[in-house]
Amino acid sequence: MGDEAKNSSTTTEDVPQLNQDELIMAQQRQIEKEISESIPLVGELESILLLEHEYSNDTVYQEKVRNLSLKYSSIRRTRPDGNCFFRAFSFAYIERLLDKKEEFKAFYQKAEKSKDVLVELGFQQFTVEDFYDTYLDVLKRVGDIENTEEAKAELYTLFNDQGYSDYMVVYLRLLTSGQLQKEKDFYSCFIEGHRTVEDFCHQEVEPMYKESDHIHIIAACAALGTGVRVIYMDRGTGKAVTEHDLPEGCIPSVHLLYRPGHYDILYPV
Amino acid sequence: MSLEMKYNLKSPGVKRLMREACELAEPTEEYHACPLEDNLFEWHFTVKGPPSTEFEGGYYHGRILLPSQYPMQPPNIILLTPNGRFEVNKKICLSISGHHPESWQPSWSIRTALLALIAFMPIPSSGTIGSLDYTAEERQILARKSVHWECSNCGKIANKLSTVKIPELTQEESNFIKQIALKAEEDVNRKEVSNEELNDNLMDLQDTVQQRSASNGTYTELQTSTVDPKDSELLNQNGIWNAVVGILISAIVLLILRRVFFL
Ligand SMILES: [Zn+2]
Repeated sequence: MGDEAKNSSTTTEDVPQLNQDELIMAQQRQIEKEISESIPLVGELESILLLEHEYSNDTVYQEKVRNLSLKYSSIRRTRPDGNCFFRAFSFAYIERLLDKKEEFKAFYQKAEKSKDVLVELGFQQFTVEDFYDTYLDVLKRVGDIENTEEAKAELYTLFNDQGYSDYMVVYLRLLTSGQLQKEKDFYSCFIEGHRTVEDFCHQEVEPMYKESDHIHIIAACAALGTGVRVIYMDRGTGKAVTEHDLPEGCIPSVHLLYRPGHYDILYPV
Repeated sequence: MSLEMKYNLKSPGVKRLMREACELAEPTEEYHACPLEDNLFEWHFTVKGPPSTEFEGGYYHGRILLPSQYPMQPPNIILLTPNGRFEVNKKICLSISGHHPESWQPSWSIRTALLALIAFMPIPSSGTIGSLDYTAEERQILARKSVHWECSNCGKIANKLSTVKIPELTQEESNFIKQIALKAEEDVNRKEVSNEELNDNLMDLQDTVQQRSASNGTYTELQTSTVDPKDSELLNQNGIWNAVVGILISAIVLLILRRVFFL
């Protein structure tokens, strides 16, 4: 599960000549990259009904969008670059906290202490500090703005500045990796193949543009101390969309729409 | 113009490089690197050949090219001093062994890259692009010669290192340095493939695909009642493969056209 653009490149894998296979994949990646970069990192708030236009020839999806609109009024799209879960989740969570000054304060205090755990786990202090400083800087800049709407506008600006936005993604990836490693006994049984939790973190969590699976979401939620509701929308049978709360039984603070390969942010009615 | 004036200090990438420049300002026994005076995104480095190897006693100098998206994307290393392990003047990049360059991690740094380079030098090249497999004797001769090697920008490189011991590596650091591989930047080479080569490759591909479609029969369920089943099977297979080849060809032609008209 992750960004569709990346998954599709596996379909040519049984062409015998490796070079040609890789040649085509490299070109395909380039095309996908260019398409992806034309989409904003975090988009404007849009009416959920606009989704219907996307599926003007598809009655199955249209039905599902109408179903979705009973619970959600708006959607905010994110760039499908493999970082969409981390970007969507951190944006949506901070945005929500801005409505509740007390919770935001508690979150900020927790964030201030988050670096030491990572350094204890053996992450290079020097680079962890680099990401940590920018992470706190962003939180401080939006937290210091009295007016909630202005604070949200600043958050939107920062999340569309590639430098800041990617730094937020990296730090959340590090926190997620830290969470997985801290509780590796618990998480190791969810990891497929013969990889250790550390290997999994180095290969699937810490690098940029790596797509997110359930295990990323659960660990990211645990790291920030919150929960997410993921709404799944695919061509499956039934008119309804399926919901999934991660971790199970949580009171979700962030709602995400998952369509095969990609996460966008949803706003309840 | 000073570096501080030239770059947007608010940009996290620039801040990061300034930080790394501070961290690496003091030369050590094993490595030294600093940005060029007029370009924060190009550095020159010197590393010492790892002891108890055929590179012992050697000094190796090179360039580090930082992409504009650093540290989200990996730095490229170019060795300038002949060493018998890596071709000189050729971009090499870092990734986790056996993975794509995307496996670079933003929490790695220029220091990581240099440590990985030192650790990677004695590992057999096994014929990968950009690698050289000179004999141990040839490498030793190059190591001795390297003491006198000079960079037109930095001067005599043997003077660039100090006697300062490097800080001990953390467990995490030594773990990932073991995992890192250095490879010639293949994707870039591929993009530079001429149109002719591209067409040749494509013809080969088409041949292979057709051979495959003729020899394997995985689409047996694709049959219609009006046509002889055997014919239709072949027909369907060819149809599918032709479509696949058609799509691939058009994608590549588009890329070529774009290259011709827009670059
Ligand atoms: Zn130099």
